[in-house]
Amino acid sequence: MEQSTDTDTQSQAASIEGGKYVYCIIRSDRQREFGSVGIGGGQRVFTVAFQDLAAVVSDTPIVIYDPTRENVLAHEFVNETVMREFTVIPMSFGTVFRSEDDVSELLRSTYQAFSDVLDKMQDKIEFGLKVLWDREKVIANLERENDEIRRLKDEISRHTASSTYFARMQLGRLIEGALEDMGTRYVSDIHEALKPVAVASRSNKPIGDRMILNAAFLVDRAQEQIFDERVKETSRKYEELLTFKYSGPWPPYNFVNIKLKLEKAD
Amino acid sequence: MGILTKVLFFPVTGPVAGIKWSLGKVQQVVEDEITDDAPVKQELMELQMQLELGDIDDDEYTRRETELMARLREVRAWKERLGKATSGGPVRVARDPAQE
Repeated sequence: MEQSTDTDTQSQAASIEGGKYVYCIIRSDRQREFGSVGIGGGQRVFTVAFQDLAAVVSDTPIVIYDPTRENVLAHEFVNETVMREFTVIPMSFGTVFRSEDDVSELLRSTYQAFSDVLDKMQDKIEFGLKVLWDREKVIANLERENDEIRRLKDEISRHTASSTYFARMQLGRLIEGALEDMGTRYVSDIHEALKPVAVASRSNKPIGDRMILNAAFLVDRAQEQIFDERVKETSRKYEELLTFKYSGPWPPYNFVNIKLKLEKAD
Repeated sequence: MGILTKVLFFPVTGPVAGIKWSLGKVQQVVEDEITDDAPVKQELMELQMQLELGDIDDDEYTRRETELMARLREVRAWKERLGKATSGGPVRVARDPAQE
């Protein structure tokens, strides 16, 4: 009940103000509808065209959208829906224009750049791969396999507290160093396995202290299944030690970089 | 002479100049800090990861998301007050000054 009231209020505001939330840019020379799945409570999603380009938009009041999960998911859901039929250039979350004319102006003024990128991204999709490790498990593994670490541990457990201080320090340093080596090795191993089946890849900053890889891969649609299998194969190989978080297909967020010259409209 | 003279005969100039400088510096640091949304966004991503990994439940997520959104709005408000560029909100294609 409450939800529908919200929606009513928002769509009223939208019809007065005529704001447009832009999800992505596609190539389409006819008007399209994508259902009532837009941000702000199921707004109608449709296209604003300029020549053979179109912006996928929904009506919105002129507001700043917080990146809440609900809002981000709505943005994503629209892009996923459009992606089933089109190659898309995703807009960043929260892009609102005051009017349909402003959206047309965006398409007109950035026509060439959008066209070029759409050509380059034709039939390409993005996959995300985050790899996390369980430090304790990796350390336990290190202790089994690294002779020097095992020897130091034994020594520490045999001696009294006073003499083990430096041994402990040394052990700590050894483990840190070995962990770093392991992390680097896992990451390059995974990259090596996936690079041949991807068009491009990019590493982003890991999130939190358990993540060792936060990568995005650009994959040709025709290669999707092969890429998929390769990811599964690799994750099986490290089943015991690493957690793979594999997601997609996404619009090519990490591989499109068009700097739009936008300014505040109020 | 030299440094000793300064220290002995002009005990005031040094510290005062120093204080002015550091106040200006502090203000800059504070301004940078209260208008930087990167740490909040980083926390938001970490929060999302925790939810995905099952480290926190939906309720915990919603509670902390609300906090982070409040902080984001605060940062935005400070940016506006200090005349810095904000993200979000209505935009339009920047007019080419040459055409005007």
